[in-house]
Amino acid sequence: MALTLTCPICGKRNGYEFRYGGEDKGSRPDEKGLSPADWCDYVHMNTCTAGVQKEWWFHRDGCGAWFSTYRNTLSNLEVDRPEDST
Amino acid sequence: MKRLRQFPTLHIDTNETRSLKYRGKSLQGFAGDTVATALYANGIRIFSRSLKYHRPRGLYNLDGESSNTCMEVDGVPNVRTENTLLKDGMVVKAQNVKGSVDHDLMAFIDKLDWLMPAGFYYKTMHKPAAVWPVAMKAIRKAAGVGTISADYKVKGRYDEIFLTADVCVIGGGAAGMMAALTAAESGVRVIVLESRPHLGGCWDYRTGAYKENKPLFARARELAGQVENTSNIRVFKQTSMVGAYNNNLITAFQVGKSNDAFTERYVEIRSKSVVVATGCIERPLIFENNERPGVMQVACAHRLARSYGLLPGEAAVFSIGHDLGLEAALDLFDLGLKIRCVADIREDGHDAGLLAALAERKIPVLKGWVAAKAHGCKQVTKVTLATLDGTVKRHIPCDLLVASAGHTPVNGPLILAQTNIAYDNHSGFFLPKKLPEKMFSAGWMTGRSHPQAIEASGQVAGLKALAAIGVTDKTAVFAAEKEAAALPGIDRGCKLVTAPVKGRKSFICFDEDTTIKNIKQAIDMGFDVPELIKRFTSAGTGPGQGGIPGHNLPLFVSKYTASASKPMPTAVRPPLVPTLLATYAGAHHHMFKRTPLHASQKKGGGIFRNIGVWQRARYFSSDFDCKDEILNVRNNVGLLDSSTLGKFRIFGPDALKALQRLYVSDMSKLKQGRIKYSAMCNDDGCVIDDGIVIKRGDNDYYVTTSSGRAGNTVEWFRYHTRYDGWQYHMVNLTDAMGVINISGPNARKVLKKIADADISNNAFPFAGYREFTVKNTIPVRAMRLGFVGELSFELHVPSSYMQSVWDMLMAAGAEFNIKNFGLEAQNVLRMEKGHIILGQESEQRTNLLDLGLGFLWDRKKTAAKTVGAVALRQAENDPGRFKLVGIRMQDDARAPRDGALIVDTHVRGYVATARKSFTTGEAVGMALVESQLSKPGSRLEIYEDECNEIRLQARVVPMPFYDPDGQRMKM
Repeated sequence: MALTLTCPICGKRNGYEFRYGGEDKGSRPDEKGLSPADWCDYVHMNTCTAGVQKEWWFHRDGCGAWFSTYRNTLSNLEVDRPEDST
Repeated sequence: MKRLRQFPTLHIDTNETRSLKYRGKSLQGFAGDTVATALYANGIRIFSRSLKYHRPRGLYNLDGESSNTCMEVDGVPNVRTENTLLKDGMVVKAQNVKGSVDHDLMAFIDKLDWLMPAGFYYKTMHKPAAVWPVAMKAIRKAAGVGTISADYKVKGRYDEIFLTADVCVIGGGAAGMMAALTAAESGVRVIVLESRPHLGGCWDYRTGAYKENKPLFARARELAGQVENTSNIRVFKQTSMVGAYNNNLITAFQVGKSNDAFTERYVEIRSKSVVVATGCIERPLIFENNERPGVMQVACAHRLARSYGLLPGEAAVFSIGHDLGLEAALDLFDLGLKIRCVADIREDGHDAGLLAALAERKIPVLKGWVAAKAHGCKQVTKVTLATLDGTVKRHIPCDLLVASAGHTPVNGPLILAQTNIAYDNHSGFFLPKKLPEKMFSAGWMTGRSHPQAIEASGQVAGLKALAAIGVTDKTAVFAAEKEAAALPGIDRGCKLVTAPVKGRKSFICFDEDTTIKNIKQAIDMGFDVPELIKRFTSAGTGPGQGGIPGHNLPLFVSKYTASASKPMPTAVRPPLVPTLLATYAGAHHHMFKRTPLHASQKKGGGIFRNIGVWQRARYFSSDFDCKDEILNVRNNVGLLDSSTLGKFRIFGPDALKALQRLYVSDMSKLKQGRIKYSAMCNDDGCVIDDGIVIKRGDNDYYVTTSSGRAGNTVEWFRYHTRYDGWQYHMVNLTDAMGVINISGPNARKVLKKIADADISNNAFPFAGYREFTVKNTIPVRAMRLGFVGELSFELHVPSSYMQSVWDMLMAAGAEFNIKNFGLEAQNVLRMEKGHIILGQESEQRTNLLDLGLGFLWDRKKTAAKTVGAVALRQAENDPGRFKLVGIRMQDDARAPRDGALIVDTHVRGYVATARKSFTTGEAVGMALVESQLSKPGSRLEIYEDECNEIRLQARVVPMPFYDPDGQRMKM
């Protein structure tokens, strides 16, 4: 509940206002030649990073934007950038 | 008991009396009294009986740090009476008492302590296993604190408030107030939290000198006045901080005053920086019978006199270890308390002025002495004092023993914020090693006690808090720090833990009746870490949250184990102070949306149910089978309020791409003037929504969703197109538009009378979409649907016009005897047609193919990457899936309940919806069954909870049950 997130439209807001949208896994794969296992991995598998990960959030009680941001899953705080680029 | 009156420090108003009921008697207190002080003023000395041994317990401290004074107040158990202001008419009861609190029939247990060594209940009463349930009942009856009735409903109003601040100051003592004032000078928003009903901290009642001719209490009032009059400082009194989280999120709860709109409220503060100035509490002195009524802490005795006008006793002995004890002895002597003797643990380091003043009053001071035992079985009558080594003893009669070993900082807020704290040898305090980001501590808790040093530390903390958020620069901080460094620094603290005693009746934790002997037993059994000893002996696990043993336990363990490493405190967790669950639960508003027709639906006899976020009319008759409503639609004409339907406008250059992604059908084939029924799946192919899509123009679409999905639709569309950067817009029109459904063979005749357009079957055929006006004014979007299986128009009308259109239809239909119908009637009507409602004919695992809606899916539009298409392709050949089938009961008089199981030796499916159909006279329904059972003619056995093992018989039949060719809706 201590989480705050920075919406690209509304700015830094209380974490209560947002809905988590999962890890950033890249855009939907092409259906052509897609094996069932690959599809399943795309939809259901997560890396569950212990550290900074890029992830999607939805500003449910605000502007209604989906945006991606970085969060440190160990401290549950939003961070500016991924760890290796600091 | 006579009150001392007319002090400037008093917090009671002796002109305003308050009465309370205790043990059948009405007692008087004053406005400003706490329940505990009012009882004390009325001569009550024993407040409760202890958890295990039923020992008498009395007033020991005034901040609710032990369960001694927890009582039942107005039916609520475990109320901390020291923190609860007296209200007129309160009914107070003592807890854990068999008989009366003065003559407890269970008091003999105190003599049986040898039967109950540390952890005895872990070792006994579990062999054989059957013993435990019996023993548990007996123990729970004999031990414990308050009891509550299972039917008890908490009274009062509970609220919550969410605040933001630039600086949040926890603690309204001198340092906290200085920090707040310093920060507020820059114009930032400051919040001060104070757990007592007034600001001032320990200066509030102290008469020691702040400066010449200015006592500390006068300075405290001066500061409090400044704080209260500063417009950018918001002060929350009677507000206890209970939690600290990431990002400096502080939680607290506030007790309402009599004129507040809340009884208690949850306070959550998001602060840019935080100053913790929670000060110190006293570290209890441990000796034999150290919790006997009549033994109390220094501040307790001093505050009783100075804040509540109560001399705590007649003749007192002091056993203390710090100058505040000397100061209190002096002040209480001047107020009329006889002081037999002051035993000070310290050999040296006293304030010379205080010693001289005590000598002037001929009060004997014994240096290097300590109380070893309190005598008297219900109240102190005599004290044994001893030298620290225990070799010389003296017995002194008295009725009050003021005892305190030293002080201990209230570190809870810092620890909750993940601060590592370490033992400091000089002060004897646990002090922070490194403070968290944007959190600063100030005041007494940093080890300082000199008044100017306290204020200076508050100032420094205030400036640091500002610098941390970029309001001032570091130079101001450095200057203030330099000034503060010139003032007296951290005091040397008294380190004594226990008097020279064996410790059989020396209590380290009052709440849990844990003695020094218990701790020794635990250590001798091999527990060497305070955290483990705490759990094994339960010391510090009571309602006082470690207030009494929090500091002494690690000190004693370190001493007894002769450990070379420094004492380690036990963990602190939120909530720091016991909080009512009702406060966390909050107001619990019942919030539901109402349709634009709510009032007229109600007037029309609607019986409402809460469905999702809406209140909807489910029945229009006391007959919940809705026979009349159903037959009226089948044979005549009925009106339904469907305003809860989700309604959206989707437009923009990429709107079609979005529709292609989300809907399973090919939306490029949409034609204007026609409706398209389609469905949305999730990535597993499971159906999440169905509805109508209408093309109103180029790149401009109007779609409906089911009522329950309306709130998530925008999120769902945007989520699945979040990587694509498509240009399209969505407008949620759910609340802006209402929907009226007019159904039945006479529907056209009624609508024709008010519509400004030709609505004949030729001009407006089935599955058509038209926009026209009513009375040349009201814009209506009309579609011809067949959900209920009759000639039916669905009219989408701006909400503000809904009532008008409804009234016009009612008037136009009067000659046909038009009637309302509700949700239940609609439910049966559509079931007879085999039309599904998502959530009723489907659950989370049900995919598009299971429902027989595979025809909606266009498998050629792979480029659209339609959500669910990949999974559907994989599910196509899966034989292990459920299928939606029609069922007919063998006994037409007995339809199973929705959700009844279909079984043989295993569960094979379940009934989705089943009703007695008044139209066909059959008991029919829809069920999800394993695909092997889905062929027409398959026999099904249905199990219900109350069926007494007699299963209902049914068989699979083709759907729909009514008008299979769909002629009636195309009329």
